[in-house]
Parts: sequence; structure tokens; C-alpha cells
Amino acid sequence: MATADRAAPRKGSGGGLGFLYDERVRSVVYQVICAGVFGWLVWYLFTNTSRNLDARGMSSGFGFLFTTAGFNTDFSLIPYAAGGTYLRVFVVGILNTLLVSVLSIIATTILGFVIGVLRLSSNWLIARLALAYVEIIRNVPLLLQIVFWYVGVFALLPRVKQSIGVLDISFLNNRGMFMPAPVFGDLFWATVVAFFLAIVIAVGIKRWARRRQELTGQQFPVFIVSLAIYVFLPLIVFFARGSPLTWDVPLLQGFNFQGGMRLPPAFLALFVALSIYHASHLAEAVRAGILSVSKGQTEAASSLGLPPGKTMKLIIIPQAMRAIVPPLISNCMNVVKNSSLAVAIGYSDIVALFMQTALNQSGYAIEIVAMTMGFYFVISVSISAVLNVYNKRVQIKER
Amino acid sequence: MTAIASDQDTGQKKAPKIQISVLSWLRENLFSTWYNVVFTVIGIYIVYAVITALWDWGFVNAVWEAKDRRDCFNINKARGQPPGACWAGVTTWMTNFMYGRYPRTELWRIDLGGILLAIWMAPIWLPRVKGKIIIAFSVVFLYPFLAGYLFSGGERGVFMQVMVSAAIVMLTAIVVHSLISLITGRTLPALLVSALGLAALSEKMQRNALLALAALAFALVFWWQSGWLVPEVNWVNWGGLFLTLVISGIGIAFALPGGITLALGRRSKLPVVRVLSTGFIEIFRSVPLITVLFMATTMFPLFLPEGFILNKLVQVIVAVCLFNACYMAETVRAGLQAIPKGQYEAAHAMGLGYWQMMGFVVMPQALKYMIPNIVGSFIGLLKDTTLVSIIGLFDFLSMLRAVSQDVPWRGLHYEPIMFGAVVFFILCASMSKYSRHLEIKLGGGANR
Repeated sequence: MATADRAAPRKGSGGGLGFLYDERVRSVVYQVICAGVFGWLVWYLFTNTSRNLDARGMSSGFGFLFTTAGFNTDFSLIPYAAGGTYLRVFVVGILNTLLVSVLSIIATTILGFVIGVLRLSSNWLIARLALAYVEIIRNVPLLLQIVFWYVGVFALLPRVKQSIGVLDISFLNNRGMFMPAPVFGDLFWATVVAFFLAIVIAVGIKRWARRRQELTGQQFPVFIVSLAIYVFLPLIVFFARGSPLTWDVPLLQGFNFQGGMRLPPAFLALFVALSIYHASHLAEAVRAGILSVSKGQTEAASSLGLPPGKTMKLIIIPQAMRAIVPPLISNCMNVVKNSSLAVAIGYSDIVALFMQTALNQSGYAIEIVAMTMGFYFVISVSISAVLNVYNKRVQIKER
Repeated sequence: MTAIASDQDTGQKKAPKIQISVLSWLRENLFSTWYNVVFTVIGIYIVYAVITALWDWGFVNAVWEAKDRRDCFNINKARGQPPGACWAGVTTWMTNFMYGRYPRTELWRIDLGGILLAIWMAPIWLPRVKGKIIIAFSVVFLYPFLAGYLFSGGERGVFMQVMVSAAIVMLTAIVVHSLISLITGRTLPALLVSALGLAALSEKMQRNALLALAALAFALVFWWQSGWLVPEVNWVNWGGLFLTLVISGIGIAFALPGGITLALGRRSKLPVVRVLSTGFIEIFRSVPLITVLFMATTMFPLFLPEGFILNKLVQVIVAVCLFNACYMAETVRAGLQAIPKGQYEAAHAMGLGYWQMMGFVVMPQALKYMIPNIVGSFIGLLKDTTLVSIIGLFDFLSMLRAVSQDVPWRGLHYEPIMFGAVVFFILCASMSKYSRHLEIKLGGGANR
């Protein structure tokens, strides 16, 4: 009766220490121990930190954000010069991080889908080339690739005098890429409003067309019509208002370009490396997503008489997207996080500008680390919130 | 009344083997439609252009021996070639790439450390050797002390002496045990028992005798090791691929146990444990590694009691371990979720406690599911280790970048980066290849 013997103490009646075997008592004890250790750790670190700060005569608090930072940055989206506040440095860093992240996310998504589809190409050579791309890029550290693009490509471009011109409006040289900058006229806002109006109209047409199809079975060319609305409505407004947009083209004057906007070489290197690296990860997700749609779906669609194009559009892609979007969104998250490697090549993102330069200048380690990590934490939480909403929407409704 | 109907009986024929000629294969796979023809032509051109460019640059026009970069150009000019790869810079710097600024007279210690690790781990891949779990655990828990002492050297305290001696005893036992297993197919304890004529004794007495023998060996080794000493090498001089492998090796060794602990904590029924684990995992997973490294170097000195100074290498290793444990925790959690609930319920029905259920029923199955992802995390960890170059450790990548700052090789960028890319590619690709092999070998029960 070995089992009965072992089971006996669990009831809590087996002598003085028997209550220790009660599961509820145990769980409470474990949790109290955990909370106690955690609380002690927090208290210990806190007292150490405040004692250390006192010993070094360092002050703390967020007041430093409104003092002036004595350094300049070579690239910023909002006007910034040495003498701005640390808060402004923080904003400049955030904007620079977001700029490179958003552009890289767009490029990596396009490239990733293309490579992912090429991986499944019926053409043996193309499929193999895409595989080689994925394997080589995935197995080399991103930081090494960023360094390669920076010191090996963009820092070795010709000097300003020998710039590589693209259509004589954009110029590439070792100071970066010079591009025309848009100059918005007074009435440009009307075009923007027209574009948003076009979105509203297109959504309305789509709803109406769906309802009509459900009622009468008649189809309406939604895609063509909404495309026309997207293109023509803003254009008409734009020209009706007397085309209130001009371009500020960079011009070579003396030793440098004047006018236009400039993207520094570090930005270009980071953008190219991030796009190429993350595209290789996304390509695998796209491939897996397309393969996850079972062959029966294609067969069923063709037995219903759907042509291949419609099969792809109505049957395969909607189902594949369900598997592709979660890795796609976590890939976006990784692009934002990996853009922090900018610090290795000196692009002024939030880590390089705020966590490195501003921290070294001001010495407010705890506040600056907390703010930087807080920024990434907020981005990550919002991206996963989007992912959760999407997952809820596309989940297979099981009956 | 034949039991098995053969082909002749039923008159059925096997499906004919599909014969594909080279030409029809080409037509099927490369030239099936007009756009495939275009694609193929473009593809052939890309392959041709890339391979010839790399071949010309890296081999045909390459210079393997020169005293500086200018010399490389001159040699190319004398040969009447366009400038190619100047591999001379890479070969001159090879020792730096591998060992950083480690004293040149002491390099044998790193080599010896690597060889000992290979010897220690080799039995895990030998099918005839028993006791692989003990060997694996001893690698994780004893080898770091031996290697750590070999690499850093200097005076060692009593604790270090004990651990080093234990490691040496264990390593010797494993080598002898493996050799015996390979030759005779028996285990070391069994052979010792019969050799010493103890077979007649009870099992308990046999075990005691073996333990006494181990203690004797330990005493001998302890006495022997107290006689030698290797000179101290400051961690500042550690560098190159050696440092990269040390950091990622410690990270890998810590990530799995740390990740399993955190994952179990996150799935725990106890709310306090669950909330603490989840918060820890989510905070570390939502920030980039480089911010964690900066946090480690700027905030650890503030966290610790006054006068207690942690060197930068230890700070970095702690940061890398914490960071990767959190990523591993999510991998492990995914594996745990793949185990059907029936397994948990069956384990409970058998009367197993929590740790028995996890250790004997759930984890062995979950780990099989997880292998590809675990190896994927290890590869990520190895690649991420290059980030320590940003905060000023002289790892492999910073050594590669340093070449272009060296006066004779000023401006030599491509060659070291190419070399580094090839090294990382070989390391990472072989790891992922091995994980695919393991996946097929273990099967995970999915192939049944």
C-alpha cells in the first residue's frame, strides 16, 4: 500500500510538519519567498544606488532635461543646434530612429515579399539564388554588415566635386545623399484633405459594392474605381489650387551642395543593411506562409472554376497572410530594435545621441537609461497591441 | 493461398520510374515559359558576374605576401593587374583576430582550453559511451572553472583550487571511461569494480569504494595542482574570436537553464511568480541588446555596494546572460505549449509531483520540439556578441575593424570584413545544419 502511505501526509494530518505538504500552504509560502526576495533585491539596489550617488556627489531627477546640451548633431529632422535642451536631444534621437526604422520597414517588406516568392519560383535557378541570398545574409551578423556598408561602400564614395548624379537632381558622395526637398505652398493642405476624402469615398464604395453583390450577385470593379479616385481627386484639387508645391533642388556651390535635403552616409549604410538583413528573415516567413496553405485549397478553387489569378487573390493570399502577418510585425519590431546599432557607425539615433553622447555629457545615467528603454518599451507594446488586434480579427472562427 | 499478394499474382505493375533527360529537366525547370527564360538569363548573368568578380578580386589578383598595403598595390602594378584583395594584411593580423592582445607567449593556454573542451565533449557524440547526461552536466558546471583559470591565471584561492582539481579528475575519468567504453563496451565503474575484485560486495559497498577511490584521485590531483601556477593575464588583453566565443559560450551555457526557469515561472500557477517572470521577460525582450549593454556598463557600478568593482567583461557577460535567458524563455514556452494537455494530466494521474512531471514527462518531449528554435537562439546569440565591440571590448569584430587603423594597412576595409563574414558564416551555417540533422534524428515523434 505504498501509494496510500505517500498520499497520507498530503491531507495535512500527518503530524507536526504535515501542513507543509498542503498544496495551498506551499503555494502561499513559495509566493511569499519570491515576493520577499524580489522586494529585498529592489531595496538593496535602491539603497546602494542612492549611497553611490551621494558618495560621488551626483544629483538625480529629470530637471537636467531642461538644461542646455553642449553638443551638436550632424543630422536632425527638426531644427537643432548646440545649446538646445536635453529634451530636444531626446526628441531628435527618437525622430532619427523612427525615420530610419520606417524607411527600412517599407524597403524590407517589399524586398522580403519578393525574395520569399522567388524562393518558391518554379524556376530552379531563381529559387536557388533566393536561397543563397537568405542563407548568406542570415548567417552573417548584422553589425558586420552595417560596418561593411558604412566603411566599405558609403564612406568610400567620391568627393563632393565628383558626385554621382542621378538625373541631375540627386547626388551621392562621401557626405551622403543630396536630394530635392519639397517646399509646400500655402494651399497644399487642400491636397492632403482631398487625399483623406478619397480614402473615405473608396471605403464607402467598397462597402456599397459588397452589399450590392450580396443582394444581387452583381460585381462592381472596386479596385479600378478606387484607384482612380485615389489618383485623380488629389490631383484635381492640386492643380485647381495652382500647384502649390515646388522642389528645392540641391546645387553645387563651392565645396558643398546648397539647398535640398541631405541623408548622411551612416544613415544610408544603416538603411541598406537593415533592409537587406531583415528581408532575409521576412522571406522565410513569407515562404512558410504560402506553403502553409494546403494544396487542397488550390484544387478546390480550380474545381469551382476560378482562374489562377483569382485563386491567388481570393483563396491563397488571404489565408497565407494569416500566417505571414505575425512574423511580419515582429520583424518590424526587430527593425526598430536593430536600428540601435546605428551607434557603431555614428548615425545620431536615440542610442547614439541620447544614451551615449548625452549620458557622457550629463552623467544622469539612471534617468537616461530609463528614458531610452522606456521609448523602446512603448514602441514594442504598441506594436504587439496592433498584432493582437489583427490576430483577433483573422483568427479562424471555429464553429 | 499466398500470404502476401505479390505483383505477379494480381497482375498489377509498379508505377514506371519517371525518366527525366537533362534536356527535359532544363525545359521544365529553367525555360518553361517566356518569362522563365528571361529570369534564367538574368539569373545566369548575376551568378556569372558575382562569381567572376569575387574570383578575380579574391584569387586571381590577390596578393598573399606583402609588408604593407602600398606593397600590395605595387605588386599588382608590377604584375600588370588591377588591384585585388590584399590578403597579406589579414594573414599578418591573424593572431590578433584569433586571440586579441593576449600575451603571445601564453597563447598555448587558449589552445589547450579549446582542446580540453573538445576532448570533454567528444564522448557526447560517441554512440557507445554511456552516461552522456553526466558528461554534459560536467561540461557546463566544471569546465568553466578549469578554462577560466587557464585563461586568466594568477594566484588561485581555495575554492578555485578545489574546482580546478575536481574538473581535472572529472576530465580524466571521462577520457578513461570513454576509451574503455570504445574498446570493451563496459563502463569505467563496472571495470573498476571487477578489476579491484569488489564484485562480491553489496552495491552500497561498491559505491562507497568507488567514492573513496574518487576522493583519493581528487587528493592526488589537489596536491599536484598546488605546485603549478600560470602567470596572470588581465581580461583587458582578452580579445579576438577567443573573446567572442567565451562570451557567447557562457551566454549559451546560461541561457538554457535560465530560460527554462523563467519559462516555468511564466507558466506557473502562482500569481506572484508568474507576474515577476512575465515582467522580467517582457522588459528585456522589448529593448535592444545594446541598451542593455549600456545599462550594464553605466548602472551596475551604481547598483553594487561601494568599493565593489565589477570589471567590464563581467558586466557584459551578466547582461548577455540575462538578455538571452529572456529570449530562450519564450522559445521554451513555445515548446511547452506544444505539449498536449493530456501529458500533464497523465503525469498528475500517475502521482508525479511538479518537478517530476516537468523533468521526466514534459521537458524531454518539449526539448525535442524546441531544438531548431534553441539552436536558432544560439546562432542569434553568437551573432549578437559582436555588439560588445560597441562598448569597447576588443572582440573579433573590433579586431577586424582595427586593421584599417594600423599604419601599414591603413584603409584596408574589405579584406578583414570578408574574412570575418566567412568565419561567422561557417560557424552559424554549421550550427544550423547540425540542428536540422538533430531534428531529423530525434524526429520529435512527428514522423510516426
